[in-house]
Amino acid sequence: MSTVAAPAASPHLDVRNVMWLIAAMAFVIAPHLGRLPAWVGLFCLAVLMWRAWIGWAAIHFPSVWLMRLITVVACVGTFAQYHRLTGREPGVTLLIVMAVLKLLEMRTQREVTLTIYLGFFLVMTNFLFAQTIPMGAYMLVCVWIFMATLIGFNHVGRSPTVMQRLRPAGALVAQALPLMLAFFLLFPRTHGPLWALPQDAKTAGSGLSDTMAPGNVSDLIKSERVAFRVTFPNEMPPYQTLYWRGPVLVRFDGTTWRMVDEPIYPRRPEYSRRGRPVQYIVDLEPHNKNWLFALDVPGSLPENTLVRSDLQLRSANVVNERYRYEMSSWLDYRYGENVPPSRLAMALDFPPDRNPRAVALGRQWAAEIHDPREILLRAMRLYNREFTYTLEPPLLDPENPYDDFLFNSKQGFCEHFSGSFALLMRAAGIPARIVTGYQGGEVNPLTRELVVRQADAHAWVEVWLAKDGWVRIDPTSAVSPLRVEGGVNAALGPIGVIPTLVAVDRLGVLANIRFLWQAANGQWESWVVGYNMQRQRQFFSQLGMGDVDWRTLAFWLLIATAAVGGAVTLGLLVRDRPPRADPSLAAWNRFCRKLARAGLERRAQEGPLDYLARLSAERPALAPQASEITRRYIAARYGSGATREELRQLARLARAFDPARA
Amino acid sequence: MGVRQAISDWIFRAQAPEAAPVTLVQRRIFILPTRQGYYFAVTLVLLLVASIQYALQLAFLLTFLLGSMAGVAMLHTWRNLAHIRIRPGRCDAVFAGDVARFMLSAETPSQARFAIGARRHEGEPVYADVTAAEPAVIPIPAAATRRGVLRCGRVELFTRYPIGLFHAWSYVDFGLSVLVYPRPDPGAGSPPQHSRSVAEEGIPVPGDEEFNMLRGYRPGDPPKLIAWKALAREQGLLTKEFSAMASSELWLDWADAPGAEVEARLSALAHWVIQAEDFGQSYGLRLPGVAIPPGRGEAHRARCLEALALFDSDRR
Repeated sequence: MSTVAAPAASPHLDVRNVMWLIAAMAFVIAPHLGRLPAWVGLFCLAVLMWRAWIGWAAIHFPSVWLMRLITVVACVGTFAQYHRLTGREPGVTLLIVMAVLKLLEMRTQREVTLTIYLGFFLVMTNFLFAQTIPMGAYMLVCVWIFMATLIGFNHVGRSPTVMQRLRPAGALVAQALPLMLAFFLLFPRTHGPLWALPQDAKTAGSGLSDTMAPGNVSDLIKSERVAFRVTFPNEMPPYQTLYWRGPVLVRFDGTTWRMVDEPIYPRRPEYSRRGRPVQYIVDLEPHNKNWLFALDVPGSLPENTLVRSDLQLRSANVVNERYRYEMSSWLDYRYGENVPPSRLAMALDFPPDRNPRAVALGRQWAAEIHDPREILLRAMRLYNREFTYTLEPPLLDPENPYDDFLFNSKQGFCEHFSGSFALLMRAAGIPARIVTGYQGGEVNPLTRELVVRQADAHAWVEVWLAKDGWVRIDPTSAVSPLRVEGGVNAALGPIGVIPTLVAVDRLGVLANIRFLWQAANGQWESWVVGYNMQRQRQFFSQLGMGDVDWRTLAFWLLIATAAVGGAVTLGLLVRDRPPRADPSLAAWNRFCRKLARAGLERRAQEGPLDYLARLSAERPALAPQASEITRRYIAARYGSGATREELRQLARLARAFDPARA
Repeated sequence: MGVRQAISDWIFRAQAPEAAPVTLVQRRIFILPTRQGYYFAVTLVLLLVASIQYALQLAFLLTFLLGSMAGVAMLHTWRNLAHIRIRPGRCDAVFAGDVARFMLSAETPSQARFAIGARRHEGEPVYADVTAAEPAVIPIPAAATRRGVLRCGRVELFTRYPIGLFHAWSYVDFGLSVLVYPRPDPGAGSPPQHSRSVAEEGIPVPGDEEFNMLRGYRPGDPPKLIAWKALAREQGLLTKEFSAMASSELWLDWADAPGAEVEARLSALAHWVIQAEDFGQSYGLRLPGVAIPPGRGEAHRARCLEALALFDSDRR
C-alpha cells in the first residue's frame, strides 16, 4: 500500500480554508465591536456570512462594480460617522471594512496571503485600545489561528485536519517565543514617535487636570485605572500621611480653581525638616502632562525634574509613556514661613460678588475670632457636623456653587469640601490654596507594592499660618475620616464588581486572587506595556552591562538568533532520526549475519526456533552457543521483556559468537 | 524564479544520472524566500514602524513574534524536504498524445512530510504527503507529444510548507525515460489482404473465419473469442480458435502502410499491431532494416510498438 500524490489542487478555493480565514477574521475583529459603531459590526457580519455562503454554495463572487459600490458606501459611512477618515477610530474602522471586503474578492493564492497579512495589522489595531494581559493572550490566540489558516492554504494537495493545522501552527508560535522575547528586550527603543501623531492616536492617559470645579473629579474617582505604583525599599509611612501632591491651584474665579505660572526654583529648595526622608520609587502611567507626584517635601530628585515654589514636582518632558522615578521626601517639615506677603496676595483673592453667603460666613468668623487656628477648628467642626460624603452629589447652582453646597445640599466629596473650605478661609483672611493629587492607595500584600488608582484622586487645602508656613488641612477627613484612613472604597463601600465580590468574600480567597492578579498586572505593566528606553537602560544596568550602544545590542541579537536557530534545528533533527532498532533485535541480526557469512544463512520464512533446529542438525558444534543466544533473544523480544543487564549480556554473546571457531 | 533558476543551473551544470536511492541531504537543499515571503517582510517592516510610532509594546511583541516565526518557519520548510529518500518507480510506455507519468517514491526517516511538490523543468507540479508508515508515490506527469524516448530529465522536489514564506528545493535526476509509441491511427483500417498470404512456409491458408477448435481460456484472450454458448452450457470458459489464426501469419509491412509521411505510416502500423493483437492473430512487423518474426502476446506487442517508437530515431 502506498499513498499516491494528489494532482495540483487550488488550496485558495478550498471551502475549509476559506472558512478558517473567515473565523480568524471574526476572532480578530470581535474585540473592536464594543468600541466601534454598531453598523461596523453588522457590516462585518454580513460580509463574512456572504463570503461563507459563496464558499459553501460555490456561487459567484460579486462583480467588480458591486464591490466598488460597497467600498464607496463603507467609506462614506465611516466619514458620516466620524466626519473624517484619519485618527484612531475612523482609521481602524476603515481597515476592518477593507479587510473583510478583501475576503469578497480574493481569487488567487497571493490575494489570500495578503488578506492574512492584513489580519496581522488588525491584530495590532487592538493594541491601540488595550494592552492588557487578557488582550495580549487573546491576540496570541488570534495569531495562532491565523497561522493555522496560513498552514491550511500552504498544505497543497490535501486539506489538512484541524489538528494538522493547529499543531504545527502552535509549534511555530511556541518555538518563536524565545526569539521574540530576546528581540523585545534587546531591540533599541527610541524616544518618542518617528513623526507627530494625531491627538487621539492612543488611549489618552487621562488623570488630574490643572483646574478644579465642583463636579469634575468625580468621573475620575469612579475609575479603577492605575495612576501610578509605588514601591518603598525601606518602610512605608503611615497610610494616612500618603498625600501624593500634584497640581496646586491658587487662582479662583468663583467656580473654578486654576494653576498659576510660578517661578521654578533653579536649585533644590531648602526647608526646615526633621527625621529621615522616605525613599520610594514611582512607576507613573502616562498622563500626557508634565507634573509628577510626590509626597510632601521632595528630598532627592530624579533627573530632569524641578520643584516649583509651591512644591509641585515638574518633569522637563510631558509624561507620554510609562515613567519610573526614584526619589525621597520629608514628611516632617516646615516650609513657607518666610514667604513675603506679596506672594500671599493671590492666596487671599476671591471675587466678592460670587458665593456671597460663604464670603459673609468667612468674614463673620474673622470678625468673631482672632486666632486663625480657632477659625480652622470652627470650620472643621462645621464640616464634621453637617456634611455627608457622597460621589453622587446633586447639581449645584453654576453662579454660586459653593453657597449652594454649603447652605443647601451639604453633600459632596473632596473637591466640594476643599473648594468651599479654601473659599471660607480666604474670606476669613487666611491664605489658602487647593492641592490636588492622590491620597492613599492599595497595598498589594504579595508584592508590598502600593497601587494608586484614579479612584484615589483627592483634593485638599493648604493654609498659610504665620510661624508655621503652609499647613495641610483635609476637610474631607472631617466629614469622612475613613476616606483618609482607608481609601475611597472604605468611605463609600465597594464600587464596581470586583470590590463587591471582595466584600462578600470572607475567607480572603478572592482577595488573594485579586492581589495576585494585580501583582501580575504590575509586572506586565512594568516589563511589557511600560518597557521603554528608560526601562531598557535599567534592564541592562541590572545585568551589569552599563551603557550599551546599538552595536552591543546587535551583537546580542545575533547571538540570540543563532542560539534559538541552533536549538530549533537541533530539535528538528533529533526528532527526525529514524527509530532505533530494538537492542535484542540488533544482537540477533548480528548473530544471523555472522552465520550467513559462514554459509548458514537464515531463510526468510524461518523462525528463530526452526533456524536453531537446522543449525544444530547441520553444525552440532554451534548448538550450545546458538541455543543460548536464541533462547535469550526469544525471551527478550517475545517474552515479558528484559532488563538492561540481560540485554547487555545478549549483545555480548552475539559479539563473541564466532561460527568458525566453534 | 530567474535568480533561483540561474543558481540551480550553475550548481547542477552537468550531473550524470544518479544511483537510487537518493537521500536529500542538507547540501542538496536550497532555500530562498518566496514572493509571499518578501510581502511578509514588508508587512513586518510596516508593523515595526507602527510599533515605534505608537510606542505600543504589545505591537513590538507581535512584530517580533511574527518575525521569529518566519525564521522558525524557514527551518521547518528546510526540514520538511531534508532527509527524504527518493527512489525511481516503474514508468509505463504511453502513446503519443497521452500523458506519461514518471514515478518517484518518497520515504521519510521518521517525521511526516507535508505538501512535497515535484515537477519537471517548467512542468506542472504534483504534491504528496509522506508519512513514516508508507512511502508516497509521486507520479510526475509529462505530455508525450512525439513518439520516441521521452526523458524525464531533472526533477525538482520542493516544498513551501508550513507557511509559504520560503521555497526549499532540491534536484534529482535518475535518468528516467519512457517509450512513446506512435499514436495509433484508427483511420488506417485493416491491413491489406495480400499481406496475410505471405506465409513463409507457403502453407495454404484455409478460410479466415473457419472454426477450428475450442481450447481452454487463457488470461488475455479477447472477449469476442470466448465461447459464450459453451459457457452458457456450463462447460467453463473456452476460447474459440480459428484456423486462420492458428496457421496464417500476418505480416504488417511498412510498404503496405498508407500515407506518405513516415509518422503517418508508423501510426497506421501501430494501429494494425494493436488490432492484430486484439484479434489474437499472430503477426510480424517489417520495417526498413527491421524485421520482427510473427508472434503473439503482450511482450511481442510491446516489442513491435517499441520498434515503431524507435524507428529511424538516429536520424531524427
